[in-house]
Amino acid sequence: MKHEEQLKLQAYLDGELSGRETRAVEELVARDAAAQNLLAELRFTKTALAGNEPEIKLPESREFYWSKIEREIQRLETVPATRGTNWFTWWWRRYWIPFSGFAVMMALLLGTVNQYLFRSPVLEEIDNPSEETGAFTFRSDKERMTVVWLYDRTEETASDLEDLEEDPVK
Amino acid sequence: MKFCFLFLLALMSGGLAAQAGEMKLQAQLIWATNDKESPDPKHKAVDKALEKKLQQLPWKWNNYFEVNSQDFALPPKGAQKVSMSKKCVIEVKDLGDSRVEVTLIGQGKAANKTTKPLPKGDVLIIAGDSENKCAWFVVIKQVESK
Repeated sequence: MKHEEQLKLQAYLDGELSGRETRAVEELVARDAAAQNLLAELRFTKTALAGNEPEIKLPESREFYWSKIEREIQRLETVPATRGTNWFTWWWRRYWIPFSGFAVMMALLLGTVNQYLFRSPVLEEIDNPSEETGAFTFRSDKERMTVVWLYDRTEETASDLEDLEEDPVK
Repeated sequence: MKFCFLFLLALMSGGLAAQAGEMKLQAQLIWATNDKESPDPKHKAVDKALEKKLQQLPWKWNNYFEVNSQDFALPPKGAQKVSMSKKCVIEVKDLGDSRVEVTLIGQGKAANKTTKPLPKGDVLIIAGDSENKCAWFVVIKQVESK
């Protein structure tokens, strides 16, 4: 017997077949002994299940039982109330911490800018404690080099500086 | 937010610590000449980096020899005397903020006092004529701590 025919028998027993299908199954049962046996077995099983299902009795009434379930659902769906927070704590977290971080960053930035932009460049100061020694300076920014050249004043006068034989420069 | 705050705190304390440290300096006494060799065999050629810097300037000398080199540390706002030769002593003072005051003492007399910023990478040279158309240089710069 085909599996499809077995399913048809079950559907016939459950009253799920159309008129034409019902007549086809009845013809099958009339001519096929295996179909008859299967139909009898299915009918017996259906009767046994329907008639012998254990009845479970609830300790409370049906309405009370479902109302308990409903209350539990509503309780779980309710948004938990926020804890009361101290106003100061809230204000501290909300405004002060970000503000203090920002203030620190700005202080660092201003300090750096002040150091490199607004502070006037401090040039070298040359002091010759001895009247016999003169000095002139020059700086190479490219080589980052400052030269303080000392010369003996007693050997030349100020008007003769242009004629220095010992000019260090080529 | 906590991490940012701690990071900023570490940055500030690091900066303060860096400012508060000693200044490591090097002073070199250099002999400048056009002779290929120095009269004193103990003298050695200056390092290539300094030689290149000196040759970039319009000096009339081509060769430079190191007579003496001294590494020393200046405590914050402190001073140090460094003997470069029998006739030459320098006194270096830390004035803070990378500014130094260098006093050149020649034969027991203060010949020059120079005050200037000396950040890392900058070089201060105090120089003068010497005999035989040569010259002496005192080269002072900051060095990395070893």
